[in-house]
Amino acid sequence: MRISKLLKSWEFALFILLVAEIIILGIINPIFLNLENLLYATLDFSHILLAALPLTLVIITAGIDISSVSVMGLSSIVLGLTWVAGAPIIVALGVALLVGTLAGLFNGVFTANTDVNPLVITLGSLFMFAGFAQGLPILLDKLNFKVAGSGGLAAYQYEGITGLPYSFTDIASTTIWLIPLPFIIVLVFAGILALLLHKTRFGRNLYQIGVNLDASHYSGIAVKKVLILVYIISGFGAALAGIILTAYFTSARADLGSDALLAIITAVVLGGSDILGGKGTILGTLLAGLVLGYLQQGLLAIGISGDIIQVVIGAVLIASLSIRAMINAISQRRQNQKTLLSRSSERR
Amino acid sequence: MNKKLKSVLQSRELLVLFLLFILIISTGLFNSNFLKANSIIEIFNTSLTLMLIAVGEMFVIITRGIDVSVAAITGLSAVVLGTTLNMGWPIALALLATIATGILAGAVNAVGVTFLKVPPIIMTLGTLGIYRGLMRIIAGGSWIERLPQNIKNPNIWRFLDIPFFVWLSIAIVIVTSIISFKYKKARYLYAVGDNANGAFLLGIPVKLSLFSAYTLAGLFSALAAIVYTSQIGFISMNAADGFELKAIAACVLGGVGLMGGVGTAIGAAIGALFLTAVRSMLVFLGIPGILDNAFAGAILLLVVYIDYRVRKSLEYKQIQARAQSEDSTNTGVNQ
Repeated sequence: MRISKLLKSWEFALFILLVAEIIILGIINPIFLNLENLLYATLDFSHILLAALPLTLVIITAGIDISSVSVMGLSSIVLGLTWVAGAPIIVALGVALLVGTLAGLFNGVFTANTDVNPLVITLGSLFMFAGFAQGLPILLDKLNFKVAGSGGLAAYQYEGITGLPYSFTDIASTTIWLIPLPFIIVLVFAGILALLLHKTRFGRNLYQIGVNLDASHYSGIAVKKVLILVYIISGFGAALAGIILTAYFTSARADLGSDALLAIITAVVLGGSDILGGKGTILGTLLAGLVLGYLQQGLLAIGISGDIIQVVIGAVLIASLSIRAMINAISQRRQNQKTLLSRSSERR
Repeated sequence: MNKKLKSVLQSRELLVLFLLFILIISTGLFNSNFLKANSIIEIFNTSLTLMLIAVGEMFVIITRGIDVSVAAITGLSAVVLGTTLNMGWPIALALLATIATGILAGAVNAVGVTFLKVPPIIMTLGTLGIYRGLMRIIAGGSWIERLPQNIKNPNIWRFLDIPFFVWLSIAIVIVTSIISFKYKKARYLYAVGDNANGAFLLGIPVKLSLFSAYTLAGLFSALAAIVYTSQIGFISMNAADGFELKAIAACVLGGVGLMGGVGTAIGAAIGALFLTAVRSMLVFLGIPGILDNAFAGAILLLVVYIDYRVRKSLEYKQIQARAQSEDSTNTGVNQ
């Protein structure tokens, strides 16, 4: 019984899809199948997973956080500027994570205390954080913020901040048992979130809030606190993603990750989360992120251009959703027919 | 007070227009150059692409949907326009192809949302990737330049010192508003957005209404592409990039409710004008223009927050009034 349930689960389907995809792409281009290569490829999409995993929690509550793409850039430029200002890199890391957490706190407080659609709120904060990140170097100049030996911070606005210490940029090139450190961070983060979502009362509350907000209020869930915490986790994840991207590109930029929105939401939705709330798992998002990431890497490896890959990923998103909608419709119809049949036999 | 007048005064369109007016006046006090007719017209002229996209977006949001592919449709249509023109097509035919592209792209979204039952945000997020990819594939990844002069000419046409495109866009917005108020079938969109099941029971063709909303969004995105191409004179591969989110922001600012059933074309247009004006105002105020997104986002959040507070206090007053009237009837019974 348990095994048949496992075999029917969406996560299992994703796992099969992942394996099939790697094998097929490997047959076309054998170099792709190299284990070291496969593990190394995760560097290109670790940041997407780091943002998508906590977004799963947000989407389960029937919310959404599209501002994470701006939080990535914001935490990156804050990290760079803090370091330029003379702080040790470890302090800069802390400040970057703090900024991400505060950004999440802002979204959370706004969402929890009003009935405004979270899409509108995070759309507003997406613009706010992105604009702030881009303007921060100039703003600091205007405030006469002097840094020794620097000819104004405005130059960093377009060029990014390079020359970060190796102790930091090595994060992206360190491997432990062949696994790149960023992907280990992804796995640890996913593990913590999975425990939080599937093993704690907090996690169960998320599902209930997503299914029925009013009922959650009446059943005594501290809805506001839970929602605020969820958006904080999302902001923290985005800041983590920004830090990893900064280390990977060895430069702190305000626009890092700004083009990742499509991939992030695709990973969560392909992972089985319902955009209307109440459904979703961490494992699903993790597997879907890997499916998408390897699809992109594999297609690049067999010589398909990035433009076509974008088309393919969009098509995969739509196809997976419409197939699932169709399966749901068919099973619904079957159930209706069953009920009708049993009722008509009762009447007889 | 007249009930109709009261509802106009409480409308979001007026709140935003008022806010815009205050910002313009205060910027003008700081730097009188800003109040010159030229700079105001220039802001208007710059906002046209966003304005047309936002009006298209409005149709979809009214039906309680969302379309994040509108700017990608603008980009795709612009590339079709540029490519066909450079292939030597007559301008009328090229414009027709552009509009057909927009309508077709919108129809694809419509099929996904109405027949495949994919949630709008997912469907249009998918087509956002597809259209942006197609755009680069058609253009071969490079900018489309050396467009014939006949597409750039309309940008220079002026009537009463005001650019032709400004007149055209104002006309489009006003005609759209009149149609959506007076034409019965246009009201179907509002009914579907307010309560799709109720609309269905009333005999309103829900699927057809949804279908036309996404198709209209495609059409308006293509119109925006024509204005964009004429104004800019070349097409870069990130043409109108990020305008999907700005268009949604413009709609929300202009009072188009994401919960469906509420909104006007004039509101969406005012929202777009507002978002464009922010950047010019910052420059005239001596604040780095690069911060415009930060201010636009903050203003958007401020407006929805004020709106929320006003709504809540109105609800509270209504409940209070009802409680009082119930009290008086209760005492009446007791006596």
